[in-house]
Order: sequence, then structure tokens, then C-alpha cells
Amino acid sequence: MQRFATRLVLSFLIVFATAASALAGPATDTLSTSVDRIITLLSDPAYKVSDTRPAMRAKLIAVIGEIFDMKELSRRALGPEWNKFTPEQQERFVTAFGRLLENTYLDKIESYTDEKVQYLKEQDLGSDKAEVATKVVGKGKEIPISYRLMDRSGWKVYDVVIEGVSLVQNYRSQFGQILMNESPDALITKISGKNT
Amino acid sequence: MTAALPQKCILILLMLSVLAMTGCHARNQASKDFGTVAEPTAAATPQAAATPGIDDAPAEASYAPTPDPLYRWNKFWFGFNDLFYGGLMRPFAKGYAFVVPKPVRSGLTNAYQNFIFPIRFLNALLQLDFKKASKEFGRFMINSTLGIGGLIDVAKADPNLAPGNEDFGQTLGYWGAGDGFYIVWPLLGPSTLRDTVGMAGDAAANPLTWIFGPWSFGGEDNPWYWSYIIKGGDVFNNMPNTLESYDSIVKPAVDPYTAVKDAYIQYRRNAVSQ
Repeated sequence: MQRFATRLVLSFLIVFATAASALAGPATDTLSTSVDRIITLLSDPAYKVSDTRPAMRAKLIAVIGEIFDMKELSRRALGPEWNKFTPEQQERFVTAFGRLLENTYLDKIESYTDEKVQYLKEQDLGSDKAEVATKVVGKGKEIPISYRLMDRSGWKVYDVVIEGVSLVQNYRSQFGQILMNESPDALITKISGKNT
Repeated sequence: MTAALPQKCILILLMLSVLAMTGCHARNQASKDFGTVAEPTAAATPQAAATPGIDDAPAEASYAPTPDPLYRWNKFWFGFNDLFYGGLMRPFAKGYAFVVPKPVRSGLTNAYQNFIFPIRFLNALLQLDFKKASKEFGRFMINSTLGIGGLIDVAKADPNLAPGNEDFGQTLGYWGAGDGFYIVWPLLGPSTLRDTVGMAGDAAANPLTWIFGPWSFGGEDNPWYWSYIIKGGDVFNNMPNTLESYDSIVKPAVDPYTAVKDAYIQYRRNAVSQ
């Protein structure tokens, strides 16, 4: 009798689990898998030791590189200006801008201690795009962060919206302002300059 | 006699607000789209098609930029505020954060936010959002009693009673007023024409204005300056947090002035749409 009850509970659990993931959507699944991997890496004791730290940081960058589509993010951050860049300039821009984001946000991620990520909802944005609303909860603070993902043989993030402020849009305003008076090369130099 | 000055200021601001309403009229249509669409992301999509160039529409968040006719003034005061808060006040804020523990600081913020609940309540009503208004009222009742005069935000524990942030600028936005243009005020920081008018509305709905203000019950010799001292105290108490948010925008920025301007405009548009 008891075994039957356990099986019943288990089968219910399985049904609920599949139902929950179906509700969440494929973009949320991909995102949460990456976020979980990042959290696992950060909570690894090896991260606290200074000589294993660079190796852990490299692993972290690799995981982030898998979920973020840096080229798409860069293209959108330039907006229509992207087409005025030569392919070679585009490539250098993606590298420099990627480094800038890496440097800023790695420091931020690494300062996280016991923050929890809650997945609120997934919204279809049309043409293989989705927005996953999350909430980072920790130390009496709640930060709403939404990720915009695009499905191109796998879901990848192309924009992050923190408290209603889109990262891509914010950089597009800045780059647009700079490109009004300056050349693409000057912009790339400016971005690289922030990395040193 | 001293009370006459703030009264005049408010009169001037009220007159400005009338001017602003007519001035904003031309922009109403574009911003109405923003206000009526419930989802912030969905709100941005209709305009995305307007961005030409790249194959498939480059981004969701493409919208008409807010004009910046006062660029020189704004840039000057941006630099001034950056030096004042980011430089001069930073050590004081750091020292304050070191001496006064975080629970005390958030307690003071909670108490002040609880005290100015009429601003959020009235603006929720003015936006015909009765759910939000009742939520604000519930929060005020619970936090004023169980939360010991608002020091502890006990209501927050209920997800339906999460803190709100409605203000008069958002109310104007709800009724179709556009940003107008971007303006940076000395010490007060980034704003728009609409939100500047909103500040006057918020001052009118702030209980401090009525307790210490021109129409106060204190009569001629009421200590009107107390409302400024309390407001200034609240700003200073929040300074460690404010600087943290400010840094998170400015530090990764390639063009800090534009980064702050854009972040402010995006943040406010999102607030209006909610």
C-alpha cells in the first residue's frame, strides 16, 4: 500500500515537472541551464583559491560565451551604423565590445554571494525571439532582469534589460552619439581604451 | 514672511505645468502608444520597424529619441553633479554607510517612503489604477502599525503588497504627456520637462509641504526649512545606494553623459508603462 502511494506521488511529480517546464518554454530552459552552471562554478571552492582562480574564470567566460551571442549583441548595439563598418572593423568591434562587457559584468557576477534567480515568465517576441523575465533576489534587494533570446540553432541572449533599461539600447545611444563626430576606428579605440 | 517664497515657487511651477501640457501636445500620440500597451517590451516593438538598415529589425527597444536642446547646460550640470556626488560626497557616503548599518539605513528609507505614501496613493488614483491605490493604502496601514511607523516594511512579505513607485511624472505620462526634452538639474540630476512638472506635483502631494509649507497649520513662523532638511536627509541616507546604481551605469559607459541620459529615459518610460 505504501509503495503504491509513493509511486502515485512520484508519477504526479513527474507530470508536474514536465508541465512546469512546458510552461516555462525552451528559452527559459536554455537560460536556466547556463545560469545554474555559472552558479555552480562560482560556488566551487576552487574559485576562492587564488591560483586556481584564473582557470575558473576562463571556464566562466566559456559558459557565458555559450549563452551570449556577442556578434548579435554588438550588431544591435550599433544599430544601422553596423553596415557602415567594414567586416574587419566589425570583427574588431565585436572583440573590443565583448571584452568591455566581460570585464564589467564578471566583476559584478563574482561579487554575488547568496542571490537567487527566480524565473518569472517567458514571453514570445515573434520570429524566433523570446524574453525571459527573471528576478535576482538577495540581501533585501530585488532586481528585475529580463533576457532577450533568439533561436538560431539554439537559444542565445542578445539583450539584457535591467530595471527596464536595455543594455543594447543604452550602448546604441552612446555609440550613435560618438559616431556622429568620430570614425568607427576612433570608437573601437575608445572601447579598447576602457579595457586596459 | 519667509513662507511667501515657496508659495511663489509653486505658483511659477504650476504656470509652467500649464505651458508644458500645451507644449507636449504634439508628442502625445507617440507616447500614448507607449502608455497603453501593457508590456514594456511589447510597447517598444511597434516602433522597431521604423529603424531601417539591418536585415531583420535590429531591436525591440527602438524609439524616438528624447530631444536635448539644452545640451550645453545639461552637460555642464552633469559634470557638476558628477563631481559633487561622485567626488565630493562619495567619501561622506562611504563613511556614513560604514558607521550606520544597512538595516538602520533601510529603516529610515522605509519610514520616509511610508510617510510620503499620499504621493503614490494619489497618483495611482489619478491613473485610475484602483488596484495599485488599494495596495498602497494597505501597505500604509500595515507598515504604519505593525511596521512601527513604517520603519519596517512588513507588507513586502506579501507578494501582492510589493512596494510601488507611482509619481506625478508617471501620471502625466499615463495621460499622454511625452518626455518633452531632457534636462539635468543642479543637484537634483537627470529629468525631463514632464518629470520636472511632476516634481512640482509630488511636492504638492507630499505631507511635508502641508506640515511645513506655505499653507501649513503653523502660521507665520512655521519652520518651513524642515521639509528641505528632511528631504535632504533622505537623499543623503540613500546616497550609498544611489552611488552604487550610478556607478553601474557610468563605469561600463563609453560616453557617460549619454549613458546616464538614456538610462534615465528608458527607466522612466518603463515606469510609465507599468
